[in-house]
Amino acid sequence: MKSRFLIASITLALLGLASAQTLRYFSWEPNITEQTNALIKQFEAAHPGVKVQFEADPPNQYWPKMSALAAAHKLPDVFYMSSGYIDEWQTNGLLADLQPFTKNVDWSQYFTGVLSTARFPHGANGDLYAVPIDWVGPVLYYNKTAFDKAGVAYPSANWTWNDFLDAAKKLTVRDANGKVTQWGFWAYGRYAHIEPWVFQNDGHILNAARTRIQVDANATAALKFLADLVNVDKVAPAPKLMSGVNQQDVFPQGLAAMWVDGSWNIANNRKIIGDKFQWDIAMVPRGPAATSDTAYTWPDMMAVSANSKNKELAWEFVQFMTGTARPADTYLAGTVPFAKATEEAVLKSDASNQPAHESLMLELGKLPSRTTFTPKWSEWRGYSAAGGGGMNGELDKVFNGQESLADAIAAFTSYGNQVLARVYPNP
Amino acid sequence: MRYRRITPYLFIGPMIVGLLVFRLIPIVASLAASFTRWNVFTAPTWVGLANYRAMLGSPDFWQILRNTGVFALLYVPGTMGLGLALALLVNRELRGVTALRGVFFMPYITSVVAVAIVWRWIFATQYGVLNYLLTRVFGMAQGPSWLGDAHYALLALAIVYVWQSSGFQMLLFLAGLQNLDLSLEEAARCDGATRWQVFRHITLPLLSPMTFFILIVSLINSSKTFQVTYALTGGGPQNASTTLAYAIYQNAFVFFRMGYASALAYALLVVVGAITLANFGLRRRWVYHDEPRAS
Repeated sequence: MKSRFLIASITLALLGLASAQTLRYFSWEPNITEQTNALIKQFEAAHPGVKVQFEADPPNQYWPKMSALAAAHKLPDVFYMSSGYIDEWQTNGLLADLQPFTKNVDWSQYFTGVLSTARFPHGANGDLYAVPIDWVGPVLYYNKTAFDKAGVAYPSANWTWNDFLDAAKKLTVRDANGKVTQWGFWAYGRYAHIEPWVFQNDGHILNAARTRIQVDANATAALKFLADLVNVDKVAPAPKLMSGVNQQDVFPQGLAAMWVDGSWNIANNRKIIGDKFQWDIAMVPRGPAATSDTAYTWPDMMAVSANSKNKELAWEFVQFMTGTARPADTYLAGTVPFAKATEEAVLKSDASNQPAHESLMLELGKLPSRTTFTPKWSEWRGYSAAGGGGMNGELDKVFNGQESLADAIAAFTSYGNQVLARVYPNP
Repeated sequence: MRYRRITPYLFIGPMIVGLLVFRLIPIVASLAASFTRWNVFTAPTWVGLANYRAMLGSPDFWQILRNTGVFALLYVPGTMGLGLALALLVNRELRGVTALRGVFFMPYITSVVAVAIVWRWIFATQYGVLNYLLTRVFGMAQGPSWLGDAHYALLALAIVYVWQSSGFQMLLFLAGLQNLDLSLEEAARCDGATRWQVFRHITLPLLSPMTFFILIVSLINSSKTFQVTYALTGGGPQNASTTLAYAIYQNAFVFFRMGYASALAYALLVVVGAITLANFGLRRRWVYHDEPRAS
């Protein structure tokens, strides 16, 4: 009797296992594990028999782990994908083509400007290989209190580079000994600091096929404008003067009155500035060569493994997780949820916080967007643990007054093209 | 329980498996990987000596190799000198000396994140403690950018690494000092030797086997720099503070050039191995053994 019961229960359990579908899902956001588990429960409730296995590691552990899993053909069904790495993963055939699943998607509910990064070939007509979760883009941060003190009008949509330079000069404050106590601007050489100026001057640092570094005249003009702010106009400090201070803390500590960097810094600004001064965000000023605004926006995404055996279910999960289900308070301030409705909820709950014009992100989301992401981007641009190298390192030298801009452009073009030639033997 | 032939192997088995899986097999595998082009997520392709050729032809590699050498020249004497000085300081019968030993050892076990935050404050160009002292107390017009200037970044890192690891070398020297045969020192003092003479001609030679061991350990440690570099300079500005170990990490886990990173790792092995061998060769010139040697 006993053994019969045992056999029956084992059979039942096996049947249950056979009918249960398991989705594996990995993210690099361990800090919102609780909310993610709640979302997973919702999804599982709506899909009886489906079990989602979730794991999260911080980014510096996430990527080595995912690479090892990819090598072992054990990638999870659904996983986070960054703009910096998607080209490499897609070109190596690791991501599922999601285009066939998108027929019934109502894209009007989403910020589609950032989809280009997830499409291959990049642009409006490529196939979709990932779905954005949220997106970010650089903005101009400015210290309203400092502007008021200097009697300078706040940045407007028609600000030219000359207007910007004028303001920066007036905002650079020196003490009796000529020592600067407040800089007009904080210039830095990383992607989120440089590219927005290049794009706002209709410039390119890649060729049209995105297979080689090719700095055009408009981009060179933008780089020169930035370098001159430091070395000629003396309205921005050399980066070496600020070493020892986290670059993202220079503006919120009141050491510089303007700064261009990613919108995700809104969170850090709020924390450090508190109510020490008033600040806001504005569009990065447009250069003389551009006739309209170009944004630099890029998404964090969710992708489906090319080897997933549950692609349809994985797609449903991706849609659920990138749609309106995820609560507004799980997004870091300054990262814009892909679903417009969620961003509206974010803005509403943020209404009493600085910056007053956080809705600028909505405008950025409508603009055409440009990026410089390629395979090996982290290597030629300089990123993460290699932040001191590549194009970053050369621009640091220019801003530190140790190299001419022409030499720097020649050096990072040659280095970058050696890197890119390993991926694209023919430009 | 009966003792069988297999019993000892059962006991050391787990250890051997661990050693094989986490050390020996990866060491061999990385040698094989160094002859491939391998981005980790797709299968490696055999490229023969291409990684080594690319490495030797890259100006960055030679700069990084030079950085590694310069760093070792700063770090090894620095950490050994400071370690010995601290050991001599705490090798006495003083009140509170145990606490002092603990304090000197603290940096070695302090979280690197905390270490980085504090040293950033010290090294900051404009508002840092060090430059404040240099300008206010020593009257310099402008302190250098310790972390942001290519001329100082490696030196700044060496200072932090020395500070961080000297406590460990102190502990080793202390162990050496406390094992010395005091009768020789006493005899020398009775014969009228000064304290310096005792130290120079008795203590140091007696300590030399331990000093030799610490030298080898310090040399190997000098080639394993990573955490503080990661937290303070990221290898910058423009590779100025990138050492081989750091370049291996960058290539393996940021660029995912596992083949090239493996080639760099073997370059590091050759350099460290050669220096260690040379030291074993030079050993008989300055290392004294108190046991009589068989001749």
